[in-house]
Amino acid sequence: MQKSQLQSSQKKISQPIEFGAYSEHVPGQIPSALKYATGRFMEQRAASLDELPDWEALRQAGSAIRLHTLENLDFYLEKLEQQVIAAGGQVHWAKDAADACEIVLELARQHAVKRAVKVKSMATEEIGLNHALQEAGIEVVETDLGEYIIQLMGTGPSHIVAPAVHLKKEQIAEVFSQEFGIEAPTDPVQLTAIARQALREKFLAADLGISGANFLVAETGTLVIVTNEGNGRMCTTLPDVHVAVAGIDKVVPDWESLSVLLKLLPRSGAGQKITVYTSFITGPRRAKDEHGPSEFHLVLLDNGRSRILQDPGGRETLKCIRCGSCLNICPVYRNVGGYAYGWFISGPIGAIFTPQILGVQQASELPFASSLCGACDEVCPVKVPITKILLHLRRRVVEGDGYELAVVAPPLRAAAALGRQALGTAWLYRLGGRLLPWLQIPWLRAGWLSKLPPPLNRWTKVRPLPAFQARFRKWWKRRQQVSTGDQP
Amino acid sequence: MSEKSRSAVLDAVRGALQRQPGDSLAERLPVLSSRQAASQAQELQLLIDEIQKLSGHAQMISSSQVAAALAGLVRTYQVKQAVLWDTPLLQQLGLAARLTDLGVRVVPAHSDKQMLSECDLGITEADFALPETGTLGLLSNAERPRLVSLLPRLHLAIMRPAALRADLHQVFAEARTHAYLILISGPSRTSDIEMTPTLGVHGPRDVHVWVLETDL
Repeated sequence: MQKSQLQSSQKKISQPIEFGAYSEHVPGQIPSALKYATGRFMEQRAASLDELPDWEALRQAGSAIRLHTLENLDFYLEKLEQQVIAAGGQVHWAKDAADACEIVLELARQHAVKRAVKVKSMATEEIGLNHALQEAGIEVVETDLGEYIIQLMGTGPSHIVAPAVHLKKEQIAEVFSQEFGIEAPTDPVQLTAIARQALREKFLAADLGISGANFLVAETGTLVIVTNEGNGRMCTTLPDVHVAVAGIDKVVPDWESLSVLLKLLPRSGAGQKITVYTSFITGPRRAKDEHGPSEFHLVLLDNGRSRILQDPGGRETLKCIRCGSCLNICPVYRNVGGYAYGWFISGPIGAIFTPQILGVQQASELPFASSLCGACDEVCPVKVPITKILLHLRRRVVEGDGYELAVVAPPLRAAAALGRQALGTAWLYRLGGRLLPWLQIPWLRAGWLSKLPPPLNRWTKVRPLPAFQARFRKWWKRRQQVSTGDQP
Repeated sequence: MSEKSRSAVLDAVRGALQRQPGDSLAERLPVLSSRQAASQAQELQLLIDEIQKLSGHAQMISSSQVAAALAGLVRTYQVKQAVLWDTPLLQQLGLAARLTDLGVRVVPAHSDKQMLSECDLGITEADFALPETGTLGLLSNAERPRLVSLLPRLHLAIMRPAALRADLHQVFAEARTHAYLILISGPSRTSDIEMTPTLGVHGPRDVHVWVLETDL
C-alpha cells in the first residue's frame, strides 16, 4: 500500500502532503478508470443542463445564495440551532476534529452503542471519525456501496461522488470473496446483490446511524441528504439514534434557496435531474409508529472554516456544495486520481480546501497541482473562483501574508527578489546579459547546462537547462529597425 | 464544554466576518421563479414518462382496474408478505382485504423492522408528484410510517392527480413545517462498480406508481 493511500484512510495526517511524489506512483488503472467515469459524468451533465431553460441564471442564483449565507453565517447558525432544538433535536458545537469525534464518542457511550452504520460523508472523513469509533471498540460500517468496498479494502475515497470508481470488478469480487468466504462472481449486478444482503443485516442491527449533511435549512432546522442507493434513508430511519456531522458551511437560509441548490447539485455532479432519494429530516420522529430515530443530534463542525471565512481571498472556497464536477473536468485530477491529493478531498476543490484547513505549511504543493486552465471555474455550479483562489494560495506559499508565513525558504525568496530586481533595472539587466554567457561556461555541454551546483541542481536533476544566450536586446533592436524600415 | 465550544465557534465566525451578536442580515437576493405547470393531462403524461425513464413503472388506473392490477403485481413479483399505509384512500380501495384474498400475508405497519424487511411489497400514497423529474413526495406520521416505502423490495405508490405540483417550490411551501419529507425518483440505484447502472441496491428494486384516473 502506498503512503498516500494510507494517509487518506481516515487518519489524522501529520506528514506534509507531497503531491508530486504521490502522483509519481499512480497505478495505471486509476487514470483510465477515472477518465471513463468522469467522461460519463460530464456527458450526462451536459445532457441534463440542456434540458434547463437557463442554467446560467440558476448558477448565478446559487452563487449569490451561498455567498449571502457565508457573509451572514453567524445569524443563520444561531437560527438553525434554535430551530433544531425547537424540533426536539440537540445541537453540539465542535471547534475542531478532536472535539467532534469526542462528541460522537460521548453519545455512543451514553447509548452503549456497539454497531454504527454510516452514510457517505465528507465531514466524518475530515475528522477521522471511523478511526476514533473503531478505537473505542465500536463497529462502524460504511453503507454507500462504493464506500463499503473501499472500507473493506482499507483505503480512502478516490472521488467525491464515486469513491471506488478506480477499482475493477475483479478486484471487488476478490475483496468480497475474502470477506464473505464465498466465490464471488465478477458481475456488478451480482456483487451489488451480495452487498445488499450483507448491509441489510447491518442496517437492522445498528444502534447508531451517522450521516453528514448536504444542506441544513436554518429556517426550520431541517437536515437534507441526497442519495441514490437508499442507504441514507436506512441510516437515518432504522437506528434509534441519529447523529449528523456537518461543517458550519452547510447552512442554507430557507427552503426557497434550498430549491435552487437542489437543482444545481445532482445535475452538476452526476448529470441527474434529481437523485433517487432526497430526505428532509426535522428533528427526531414525532410518533413512535412513524418510524425514525427517537434522538436526533447535530454536530456543527468549524475545524478551520472560520479561518477560511476570515480571508476574503479564500472565503468563497466555502461556497462549495461538493458536487464533484471540478474533479470530473480537471485534466490533472483525471491523470493522477484522488489519492495524490493526500487527504479526503481531492481535485481542484481539494487543492484549495486542504491548504486552508491544514495550513499551507503542510499542503504547500497543492496550490500548484493545477495547470490553471480554468475549466473548474466554468463548471462550478456555485461559481467558486477556484483558479483565483489557487493563485492566492500560491502567493501565500511563496510570500506569506497576514494569515500565514511563507513556506518557501528565505534564500530562495531572496534569489527570486534579486531576480526581480535584475529584470526590472535596466543597467543590471544589461550587465547580467553580458556576464552570464561567460559565467555559465564551466557547466556548458553542447549548448545545454545539464549539471548545475545546488540549489540550481533541483532543476537540472530532472531536465537540462538551455544555455543562456542573452539575445533578446539584439533581436528587439533589429526588429525595431525592420519594422521602421517597412513603413512607406 | 459544549457552551464553551458554541461561543468559540460563533465568536470565530463573527470575528472573521466582523459582525456583532444580534447584527441584522445583509440584503437578501431575489430567488428564481418556479416552473409553470402545463395542463393536467400533459403533466400526468410527463410524470409517467419521466418515471419510466428512471426504470420505474407508472400508469393511469381507474378504480375498477385496481383489483386486476394488484393481482398482476402479486403474481409478477411473487408477493408473499406486504405492508401498507393506513390512509383513507388506500382503505377506500380496499387494498388490505384484496391482498389477503390473493393469499398475501398483510403485516401491520408498526411491526418490528425485521418483519418489515421481509415484506415483498410496501404500499403508500404520494402526497406530491413532480412531473419534470418523475418524483414522488411522501410525508410521514403514525399512519404513514417511513419504512414502508424503503424496506420491501417492491414499492407501490398510489396517487391522485391532485398531488401534482409544478415545481419543488410548491412542494416545499407545503412540506416545510413537517418533521419528515422524502422525495423518491425511481427505484434505488447505484453505479459504484465500474459505472454499471444497477437497481435495488438498498431500497426497493422496483417502483410502481398508479395514478387514479378520477379523484375518488
